[in-house]
Amino acid sequence: MSPFHFSFYTAFTLSSLGLAFHRTHFISALLCLESMMLSMFIPLSLWPIENLTPSFTLVPILMLAFSACEAGTGLAMLVASTRTHGSDHLHTLNLLQC
Amino acid sequence: MTYFVIFLGVSFILGALAVASNPSPYYGVVGLVLASVVGCGWLMSLGVSFISLALFMIYLGGMLVVFVYSVSLAADPYPEAWGDWGVMGYGLGLVLVVVLGVVWGEAIDFWEVGVVTVDGGGVSLVRLDFSGVAVLYSYGVGLFLVAGWGLLLVLFVVLELVRGLSRGAIRAV
Repeated sequence: MSPFHFSFYTAFTLSSLGLAFHRTHFISALLCLESMMLSMFIPLSLWPIENLTPSFTLVPILMLAFSACEAGTGLAMLVASTRTHGSDHLHTLNLLQC
Repeated sequence: MTYFVIFLGVSFILGALAVASNPSPYYGVVGLVLASVVGCGWLMSLGVSFISLALFMIYLGGMLVVFVYSVSLAADPYPEAWGDWGVMGYGLGLVLVVVLGVVWGEAIDFWEVGVVTVDGGGVSLVRLDFSGVAVLYSYGVGLFLVAGWGLLLVLFVVLELVRGLSRGAIRAV
């Protein structure tokens, strides 16, 4: 694996580990999702350049559009859960507490 | 130049680590901005100029909304920066995971640093990403319509989620 590939694979792994572990704030989990999206965007736009296949460069643009959908829905859920639960801490969304 | 690009890649990892190590959202946003700016420079140095411009303008412009939300909605009285022990513990643990993976799996090979790209010479050449994104309006118009329909759907999803306390999709039971 070359260092370029290593850096975005590592960034994706770090972001998904950060999403998997306990977050204090809900928006911190959303930031981890955005970071995962960013570290998928970089290789999606690098691989067409490395392989000289120009028509695949529309894939990162499409992924940018769908990540905008994801960010919008996530922020709406943030607003809704902040209204109903009082704060955006993730431990208020835990199902195990009564 | 190769070392500069490697430096940009390492800064990209550091930006992701700054987001992932569970600081307060004020500071996590700083890590995300670092990662996206460095990613723009990285793509620019490999010759993907249009995608880099789209990332810089559209992604950072859209992310401004997320930044405003993370500053306004996550109001911590004592924000945790990376100097605090909890955040430092998360960060060091994640670094340990990466180092163990690299050493154990022998994942990285520093001799293969070259990346094949094209370099435009002259007026009549079109760079790869310019011609590729233009396909979105001719052959890829189905994908274009799917993306537009998805964005329209998200509008109604957001309206349904934030409608009100008693009528919205998420409500207190």
